[in-house]
Amino acid sequence: MRFSDYIEQSFSNLRKKKLRTFLTTFGVVIGIGALVCMFAFGKGMQKNMTEGFNKLELFNYLGVFQRSENNKSNESTQDPNSQNEADRRKRLLDDDFIIELTKIEGVEWAFPEIRFLAMIRYQEEEEFSLIQVLPARICQSGIVNFRAGTYYTSDEEYSLIISDSLLHRMDIKKPEEAIGKKIEVSTLAIDFSLDNIPNILSFLRGQGLPFSRQSYTFTIVGVTERMGMGGPTLIRSGVCIPYGTSKKMKKLPVTSISDLFVSTQQTQGYSAIGIKLTSPKYVEPVRKRMEEMGFNTFSLTDQIEEIKTVFIFMDLFLFAVGMIAIVVASLGIINTMVMSILERYKEIGIMKAVGASNKDVKKIFLFESGVIGFMGGIFGLTLGWIVSVIINVVINSIAVREGAPNMNYFSFPWWLCLGSIAFSVLISLIAGIYPTVRAAKIDPVIALRHD
Amino acid sequence: MDSDYFVETKDLTKTYSSGRIKLTALSNVNIYLKKGQFLGITGASGSGKSTLMNLLGGLDKPSSGTIKVQGKFISELDCDELALYRRYQVGMIFQSFNLVSSYTALENVAFPLLFADVPKKERMKRAAEILNMVGLHERKDHRPAELSGGEQQRVAIARALINHPKILLADEPTGNLDSKTSRQITQILADLNKNQGLTVVMISHEESLLAEYADDIVHLCDGKIAEQETNS
Ligand SMILES: Nc1ncnc2c1ncn2[C@@H]1O[C@H](COP(=O)(O)OP(=O)(O)OP(=O)(O)O)[C@@H](O)[C@H]1O
Ligand SMILES: [Mg+2]
Repeated sequence: MRFSDYIEQSFSNLRKKKLRTFLTTFGVVIGIGALVCMFAFGKGMQKNMTEGFNKLELFNYLGVFQRSENNKSNESTQDPNSQNEADRRKRLLDDDFIIELTKIEGVEWAFPEIRFLAMIRYQEEEEFSLIQVLPARICQSGIVNFRAGTYYTSDEEYSLIISDSLLHRMDIKKPEEAIGKKIEVSTLAIDFSLDNIPNILSFLRGQGLPFSRQSYTFTIVGVTERMGMGGPTLIRSGVCIPYGTSKKMKKLPVTSISDLFVSTQQTQGYSAIGIKLTSPKYVEPVRKRMEEMGFNTFSLTDQIEEIKTVFIFMDLFLFAVGMIAIVVASLGIINTMVMSILERYKEIGIMKAVGASNKDVKKIFLFESGVIGFMGGIFGLTLGWIVSVIINVVINSIAVREGAPNMNYFSFPWWLCLGSIAFSVLISLIAGIYPTVRAAKIDPVIALRHD
Repeated sequence: MDSDYFVETKDLTKTYSSGRIKLTALSNVNIYLKKGQFLGITGASGSGKSTLMNLLGGLDKPSSGTIKVQGKFISELDCDELALYRRYQVGMIFQSFNLVSSYTALENVAFPLLFADVPKKERMKRAAEILNMVGLHERKDHRPAELSGGEQQRVAIARALINHPKILLADEPTGNLDSKTSRQITQILADLNKNQGLTVVMISHEESLLAEYADDIVHLCDGKIAEQETNS
């Protein structure tokens, strides 16, 4: 038989049982649709992640931390000699160090990573928020997308930028309206100075820490865009203030609990410093250097590996869910093909009597299930695409209201499109094996006597 | 020792075993058939006529004994070779016509060509020619259910002829037909035998019909040849 004959035979035979073919194919369509939709979502998330990381040049970022006591003891058991040396050379993460860092090859700039807890007040609304210190230089570097207003130009202003997620809570509808509004930021600090004597006394009597509360008034100059779901960002707080201004504020950094007990005195250094490198290739050498100096480091290249593993697991999970649908669809195909063979029992006898070989008979039925798979693949892909468009519209209509940018959460790479059709055909062929073998085994003598 | 027989069977035996019971449907049958001969086979129901026919047609394999067709041992062919034998050497006709009910007359006639790798256009052209030959040109787009028994059998004959077989095997082709139509159908087979030199084996209960058209008649009884007569 010729290839075109197989195709024509398959279609004409399937057309004779329209409802059954439709239902069986529909099962495949649902399975493939689910699988395609899920894969496209996984791939879309992955793509958004990677693109977001690349766009923000987050692969060029290296975090440097003071080593905590725990880490130190761990390391010393492994390598006591180098640890002693590192201790001896131990440096503070201070401004001098930052200046020194910028001289290292490949370092574009370095900035302190400071976040602290503060009470922010807008009109009558008061709430605790994590405030991030973002040097003006970095703010201007394009790392931040603004929905309204712009960055602060100097590190000494009492200006701040807020994330648009805060707008909601401030009861401001349009980001533009927030520009120029005043916000009061109140910090807590452990204060052993003279004007805090009442608190110090209560601390000494064991009644709480000697906190003092300071209030500063800031003007909103910019509203940032919150990243969409799955998008990474350096900005991890709702409020960012200039570096110089923050230095003048008394506050508790909260990078870790132990930081609570570190004084705000500048001589103690920052708990963390962020380094922006000119290219990702400098991440490893600079990181090595920092670790030799006795600091802990963090880079997103580590993270991306972890994230990739997470996506692999997510893909596997989605695959498992889709596969259940596919297995059910395969059972449908097996059922349909067995039914079809029983109905065409005599026809198979005739085929053999007029000279069809067992191979011909096998191919005829394999083609039929392959055609079911092919149509199921095409319509499944279409269904998956339609569903993804609908989900996109729904998610975006919600997310945009929450301040996230409009984005495509699905990705249909060419291999997913072709792969889903090929996979559908493959699965259908596998499902067709049993019925096909059964068809080929039919004894023509018995089949021809059959009525 | 080569013979000039077209078909030659030697001690052809077929036993069916269902469970422990063995049933010998055909036992030590020797048939000699010359090219261009019209052989009639008759016998009581269950005497093994269809069994013999299916063995000659390569639809079944003997339990023992050999079948030689044109010097080739059919009984030794494997499945695929038997398929080729059925495709190109044999045309078979059955009592119950055995047409594909969902195909038109034309499609039924063209069906064997599908397995012979003939392109569709040629398949349809050849099928139409042969349908014309059996006088069914006007009925080519009708399905079997819309045709009379005689017409269906003529479609089946056309289908048997489409691949230019060397031998035509007809298993009670007139079994479901009235006497007038039976004669028509048998006449077609006899004409093919006379005019085209086609070797024909025809099974029938009607000995008078065979006596009129067949060269030789074999009587089967309980799987054995009971009597063999030659018409002249
Ligand atoms: N597949 C089979 N399994 C078991 N027994 C069978 C099988 N096919 C045929 N037989 C038996 O073999 C014997 C011969 O059968 P066969 O069909 O050849 O008879 P027949 O001469 O064609 O009869 P009829 O005139 O009724 O068609 C019968 O007894 C039948 O029951
Ligand atoms: Mg019979």
